Amino acid sequence: MFDTVEDVQKRLNEQQYICGKNIATVVFLAKALGKPVLVEGPAGVGKTELGKVVAKALNLPMIRLQCYEGLDESKALYEWEYSKQLLYTQMLRDKISEILEGANTLKEASERIASQDDIFFSERFIVPRPLLKAITSEDQVLLLIDEVDKSDPEFEAFLLEVLSDYTVSVPEIGTLEAKHIPLVFLTSNNAREMSDALKRRCLHLYIDYPDEAAEIEILNTKVPGIDSRLVEDIVHLVQRVRELDLKKTPSISETLDWARALMVMNADSLETELVNDTLNIILKHQGDIQKAQSELNRLLEQKAAERAADTPQPVEPDPGKKSVLH
Amino acid sequence: MQRKIVEFTNILRKAGVRVSVAETIDSFLALDEMSLDDRELFKDALRTTMVKHWDDIPAYDRLFDLFWSGFHDVLRDELGQAVAGMGGDFDLDQLMQQLQELLANMDGDVDLSELARAMLSVDANSLEQLIQQAGEESGLDGIRNMLQIGFFSRRMLEQMGLEGAGENLRDMMEQLREAGMGEDDLARLGDLMKAIQEALRRSVRQYAERELDKQNHDYMERFRRESLQEKSFYNLTEDDLRKMREVVDRLAQKLKNIVSIRRKRQRKGKFDLKGTMRRNMAHGGVPFELIFRQRRKDRPKLVVLCDISSSVSNVSRFFLQFIHSLQECFTKIRTFVFVAELGEVTEIFRNNDIYTAIDQALDGGDVINPYTRSNFGMAFNVFWRDHLASLDNRTTVVIIGDARNNYNDPRAWCLRDMQSKAKNVIWINPEAPGAWGFGDSVMDRYVTYTDVAEECRNLKQLSRMVDTLIL
Ligand SMILES: Nc1ncnc2c1ncn2[C@@H]1O[C@H](COP(=O)(O)OP(=O)(O)OP(=O)(O)O)[C@@H](O)[C@H]1O
Ligand SMILES: [Mg+2]
Repeated sequence: MFDTVEDVQKRLNEQQYICGKNIATVVFLAKALGKPVLVEGPAGVGKTELGKVVAKALNLPMIRLQCYEGLDESKALYEWEYSKQLLYTQMLRDKISEILEGANTLKEASERIASQDDIFFSERFIVPRPLLKAITSEDQVLLLIDEVDKSDPEFEAFLLEVLSDYTVSVPEIGTLEAKHIPLVFLTSNNAREMSDALKRRCLHLYIDYPDEAAEIEILNTKVPGIDSRLVEDIVHLVQRVRELDLKKTPSISETLDWARALMVMNADSLETELVNDTLNIILKHQGDIQKAQSELNRLLEQKAAERAADTPQPVEPDPGKKSVLH
Repeated sequence: MQRKIVEFTNILRKAGVRVSVAETIDSFLALDEMSLDDRELFKDALRTTMVKHWDDIPAYDRLFDLFWSGFHDVLRDELGQAVAGMGGDFDLDQLMQQLQELLANMDGDVDLSELARAMLSVDANSLEQLIQQAGEESGLDGIRNMLQIGFFSRRMLEQMGLEGAGENLRDMMEQLREAGMGEDDLARLGDLMKAIQEALRRSVRQYAERELDKQNHDYMERFRRESLQEKSFYNLTEDDLRKMREVVDRLAQKLKNIVSIRRKRQRKGKFDLKGTMRRNMAHGGVPFELIFRQRRKDRPKLVVLCDISSSVSNVSRFFLQFIHSLQECFTKIRTFVFVAELGEVTEIFRNNDIYTAIDQALDGGDVINPYTRSNFGMAFNVFWRDHLASLDNRTTVVIIGDARNNYNDPRAWCLRDMQSKAKNVIWINPEAPGAWGFGDSVMDRYVTYTDVAEECRNLKQLSRMVDTLIL
């Protein structure tokens, strides 16, 4: 359990997840009220990661259901294990004379066989999939339903039933009820809008790109040992790039990749040439790169000028660095 | 508190943010779990329980600030100023204490109204509540324009009984004089009460102004949302275009969901005996899995002819965005653009993302010259010559254009032949039927050879057309 919103923030921080109070508040309430959370936002802002770190912070086992087009109940909930059942039929055939021993009429015989049905369709022959696992687990779990927007609307309708009463009915067996209501996180990239009914059942969290301060903190946490001036430069540029009208806006993962790459290259600050050479790490489309390039070069010049003004005695640039590229 | 929240949800609803009763109750539960001192937390808690569409968030933020704007602070400010106006050596606490003692000694017959009492003890909380009450009782939420501010303020002050409270206080000061309060103190108290009366007048006025802001905001917000869908394609700003792109995406998404549910219903086809036998060979013929024969629903083949001359290009733009967002609802889409020449741009859509493709297509796509004068007759003639053979009884032809032919030969017979080969010919015209056939419009000539011809001037109409296409 979390004590307060600050407690959430602190404990997620310990799991190397940087979040503001808005995210922490929703996590706090989800746990306190036992309600599912629908997390939406652009790609790579840490939606999936949030589910994972909350599980770790609360020390709950995590069960993940990855959604995709065509995902259906048998993949998400349970399947009958045909081969096992078949094997059982074989056994039954061997036993059949035993079972039928002493049966005088056809009716009696078929009744005796029918009585074996119960065993045939029992939990023994069920292969549990993530949803069933989450519901029947002995301990409370965190159920991460990832990229729910990729699933079909019909699956969503089914999910809605499960999330409203946390019971699952298997026609041949009966109703299975959750021993503990799982803590549920659903993530969506908005490939399709979720139904209002689902949204009503959930708390809603919209994660946007982090602001400059938060992103700096993320880099410092996730890329230990990185030069702080370099971090500032990177984040500053990425934030500007996000303001451009691009096909694919760079996400936190791309900022992280960029930072790691630049660190490997021993860079200690960003210069025009270096940026131009590595821009393809954060931007994937040629058109985007071209768009960003001119904008960034302008920014870098401006920045260089500011720095020159700040530092009266210009430091000799270390020739050992940055030339790695050529 | 709960009442205030319910009131807030009503404001949200009016601005088009759908909040259900269940969600309102969730917000109560949420607030039970946390302290309400931190305004940001309070705001986040209400948001996560009540606002589920990300694009409602900006509206929520604005309304929250307006609604929970701390009128409280305004009032406190005004009262503070009233006290400060009494001069540097005025000691409120001392006066209050003296008052308390005197009142306690006066035997029971002090008869003060609630307002008078709140004024006398300079109690901001009670005063705020009284103002709120007066607002509700005088129907302040009906305020719609600046000119009504004076009217509503007066009405609220009457509701509160400010006049009565003044007399009430004067009577009481007489009693205080008899009870032995000094003339100096009495004069001060009198001045203070006057100042507070003025403070209340100003606060009430501000309260009314804020309410007007709130109400206007709802109105603007609703107006903005509705109008985009209904705004005529003829006068769109750059900004509108961008926003509409999103609206189209949403509408397309909605249609797609509907279609996919329709499909699912149809999908359970007939029981397929042979298929079932084949599938279950492995289980020794025991039918574990049943196979149903898929009933194939005919998805239409689409041939789209888009007029890209500037008068119609926006209709073409959004129609193209619609159908290409809904690709999977069609077996095949072929797209042609025309002004006078006609050219196929199907490839452009295959090789680019949708927005780039649309921009290129509307620019002639390197297959036609967009800077000519419209000539429908010639464009249809080219289609007739080169592509008529590709039409069959599963193809729907959609033509987007205003049929303003610059007095050229309409060559309606081309359209006649297209109609006789295709399943359907649908014409989407941004002009109203009243204008068809007037001036250089030859729509009246073409209409004869269409199965459906409709006016389509805004997104609402357009999405309705698209829906009938994929039915
Ligand atoms: N607030 C954060 N603090 C620390 N690391 C973060 C944070 N947000 C994101 N990251 C990092 O960014 C990367 C991308 O996060 P994640 O995969 O959770 O994104 P996502 O929102 O699920 O993206 P998608 O929509 O593509 O699934 C991860 O490596 C994660 O560690
Ligand atoms: Mg993810």
